[in-house]
Amino acid sequence: MIPGTESMKPVDQPALTEAVDVLWARFLPQMQERVAILEAAAAAFTSGDFPTKQHEAANDAAHKLAGVLGTFGLTKGTVLARELEMMYSRDGGPDPDLAVRLNEIAAELRVIVENRK
Amino acid sequence: MARKILIIDDEDDIREVAALSLESVAGWEVISAGSGAQGMARAIEHQPDAILLDVMMPGMDGPTTFYELRKNPATARIPVLLLTAKVQSSDQRRFADLGVDAVLFKPFDPLTLSKQIAAALGWK
Repeated sequence: MIPGTESMKPVDQPALTEAVDVLWARFLPQMQERVAILEAAAAAFTSGDFPTKQHEAANDAAHKLAGVLGTFGLTKGTVLARELEMMYSRDGGPDPDLAVRLNEIAAELRVIVENRK
Repeated sequence: MARKILIIDDEDDIREVAALSLESVAGWEVISAGSGAQGMARAIEHQPDAILLDVMMPGMDGPTTFYELRKNPATARIPVLLLTAKVQSSDQRRFADLGVDAVLFKPFDPLTLSKQIAAALGWK
């Protein structure tokens, strides 16, 4: 037994999973909004009109998704969001050659978020 | 006796799932705060057994909040665990240098978060 856990209740994993699912449903609009920010940012970057404020919002949305999606069981979502965060936090902004990748990841995140049961 | 944990994080989804995890898996009491300033006030008022502190927050960020907690005699001895989504080694070194009791990473597993905290703090 791990030290400090002796007094813990036996874990009712199905009940915890169910409660996490309820939280996911509650926070889904927030997740969708973050993905929408990333979709819009990728499109703006591709068009060549990418204001600083939108860049910062994309970095923030990617960071938040990277930190939370895995907690809801969406490990691939965390990996992809982290990749986006790395690109958006690069000095000078994303590499112009990676515009396609920015759009691809935003699209993949949309599918991952919308399809979580 | 149940532990009392203060979660300071500006993201409500993280706060809620962490609270759910610590309450339902470990039976701990959880207090939440959505900002560093609110967290300071709650720490003084509730005297938690440990504080789970987000790094990136608007206004007073995690490291600043940590310094304020350490400066205040009412909160100076409360163990602080940073909770961060930053995984680059340079960030990890920076966080370790702050003098916090432990650094935990997002995303966390709701099933094992309390075990991570207990192990990091050597709780029996």
